[in-house]
Amino acid sequence: MKDELFTMMGEMPAMSPELLARMREEANRNLLRMKHFGEMVMNPKEPKVGPTPRQEIFRTNKSRLWRYESRRTIRTPLLFVPNLGISRPYIFDLMPKGSFIEHMTQQGFDFYLVDWGVFGEEDNGLTVEDAVTKILPRLARKALESSGASEMSVLGYCMGAPLSASFVATHPEFPLKNYINMAGPIDFAHVGLFGKWLAPAVFDVDKYVDTLGSIPAEMVKMGFKLLKPTMDVSTNLNLWWNLWNPDYVSGFNALNKWANEYVAFPGEFFRQWVKEFYQQNRLVRGELALAGRPVDLRRITCPVLAVGAREDNIAPPGCVKPLLEAVGSTDREYVELPGGHISLIAGRGASIHCWPKVASWLQARS
Amino acid sequence: MAETSHQQLFDLWKKQVEDGTQQWLKMMGQGAPAAPAAPAWDPQAFWKPFMDQGIAAWSKVMTQGTPSPDLMGQWKQFLDQWIAAWSKVLEQAMGTEGFAQALGKQLEGFLAAAGPAKKAAEQQQEAALAGLGMASSRQVTGVARQIVQLEEKVEALEDKLDRVLRRLENR
Repeated sequence: MKDELFTMMGEMPAMSPELLARMREEANRNLLRMKHFGEMVMNPKEPKVGPTPRQEIFRTNKSRLWRYESRRTIRTPLLFVPNLGISRPYIFDLMPKGSFIEHMTQQGFDFYLVDWGVFGEEDNGLTVEDAVTKILPRLARKALESSGASEMSVLGYCMGAPLSASFVATHPEFPLKNYINMAGPIDFAHVGLFGKWLAPAVFDVDKYVDTLGSIPAEMVKMGFKLLKPTMDVSTNLNLWWNLWNPDYVSGFNALNKWANEYVAFPGEFFRQWVKEFYQQNRLVRGELALAGRPVDLRRITCPVLAVGAREDNIAPPGCVKPLLEAVGSTDREYVELPGGHISLIAGRGASIHCWPKVASWLQARS
Repeated sequence: MAETSHQQLFDLWKKQVEDGTQQWLKMMGQGAPAAPAAPAWDPQAFWKPFMDQGIAAWSKVMTQGTPSPDLMGQWKQFLDQWIAAWSKVLEQAMGTEGFAQALGKQLEGFLAAAGPAKKAAEQQQEAALAGLGMASSRQVTGVARQIVQLEEKVEALEDKLDRVLRRLENR
C-alpha cells in the first residue's frame, strides 16, 4: 500500500537548501500571521492616531484650527486646508514616522491645520460659499494672528485646494506668500469617474439633497468604494501577506480606522459643490462667484506649486495641473509624483517623494 | 527558466484582460464594434476561458522544473497582477456612459424608496416622542441650528469689533 502511494506521487523535485530555508521562513511567518490575526480578531486594540502634539487655536461651530508644535525655524507659517466632509484629517498625522504634519514640523514649519469637523443635521444649510467666505477667512486670520507672522503659505489638499484657491482669490487682503495645490481638482472637465457619475444628465443633485437633507456618510463611502471596487480585495491580500510584520499591522490598523470613518456632507454644501464645480466647472472658467465676489484665479500671483499623483482616480493629474494656467503667478511649478490620491500624502512612498518635495519648495520661498 | 514561465504567464494574463475588457465594453454597449446580432451573454462562457487558462498556466508553473524558492512571492505577484488587471477592466467598464446611466437609475430607484421611508420613520418617531412629552428630533435640530446662527452672529460682531480696534490702533 505504502509502495503504491509512492509510485502514484511520482518523483519528488529536488529540494535545494535555499528552498528549505525559505520554507522554514514561510512557516515562521505563517505562525506570526496566525498570532497577529488572532490578536486582531480576539483582542482588537484602538490604534493611536494623531501623535504630533498640537493646540486648539480657534473653534467655530464644528470647525477647529490646530497649531502643531515645532521649532518654527521657517519664517512663513503654513495653513493646511483639507477636504470638507468625506474623511477625517488625522490621515495627515496618522502615526509616528508616518505623518506629513510630523515631517513638516520637524523641518521647522509653523503648521496650522483646518479641521472642518463633522457636521450634523443642523448644518445642512451650510454652503460652499459659507466655507470659503465665512469659515476659512476667520480661521486663516486666527492662524496669522497666532503665528505673529506677516505672511502665510496655504496648502490645499483634495477638495481643500479649490476651496482654499477660491478663498485666496476672493480675499486679496490676505497676505499669501505661497500657494500649493496637492491633488486638488481645478478643471472638473478632467476629473475622471466622479465627473461622469455626477454629470447633470445622470445625477439629479437637487433630488438628492431635497430628499435626504444631507449626504450620509454611508453614501459617501459607497461612492468611494465604487470608484475602486478591487480595493478591499487588494487591501486584505496585502494584509495577509504582511500580517507577520508587527509594524505593518500597526500601520494597517491606523489606516484602516481612518479608511472606515467616512463623514457626511451638509446638504447645501453638496448641492453647490456638485452643481457649480463638477457639473458647471465654473472655477476654472472664471464663472464662479461667492458672496457676490467673483472668484478670479488670476488674482493669485504668489509662487504656486501643483502636485499631481500619477495613479489618482479621484483628482487625476489632468484636473490638478490646469491651476498653473489659471493663476497669475510667474513662479509656478507642476510635479507629478508616484502614488494615488491618499498614498501621495500618506505612507512610505509619500515620505520619499512628496513630503521632501513640498518642504524643499516651501523652504526656498519662505 | 522560472523567469520565462512567469513572463509567459503574465503575457497570457494580459491577453485575457484585453479580451475581458472587450467583453465588458460590449456588455456596456461601447468599445470595439460588436459582431452583428451578438448572441445573448452567457456568464459561464465568459468566465470559463479565464479560469481554464489561469489554472492551466499555474499547473504548468507548478509541474515544470525545480520549485522556485520564492514560490509564495510569485503567487502573491500573480494575485497582484490579477487584481490590477481586474481593476483596469472594471475601471474601463465603469467609465462608460452606459454604466453612468445605469448607476443614475439605480440611485433614482433608491431615492424613490428612501424618501417615503425616511418621511414615515420621522413621522413615527415624532409621534412616539410627542406621546412621551419629549422634544422631537426636528425641534432639537431647530434649536441646534439657532445656536449655530447665534454663534455666527457673535463671531461676526467680534470680527467687526476687531476691525474697529485695528483702525483705532492704526490712528
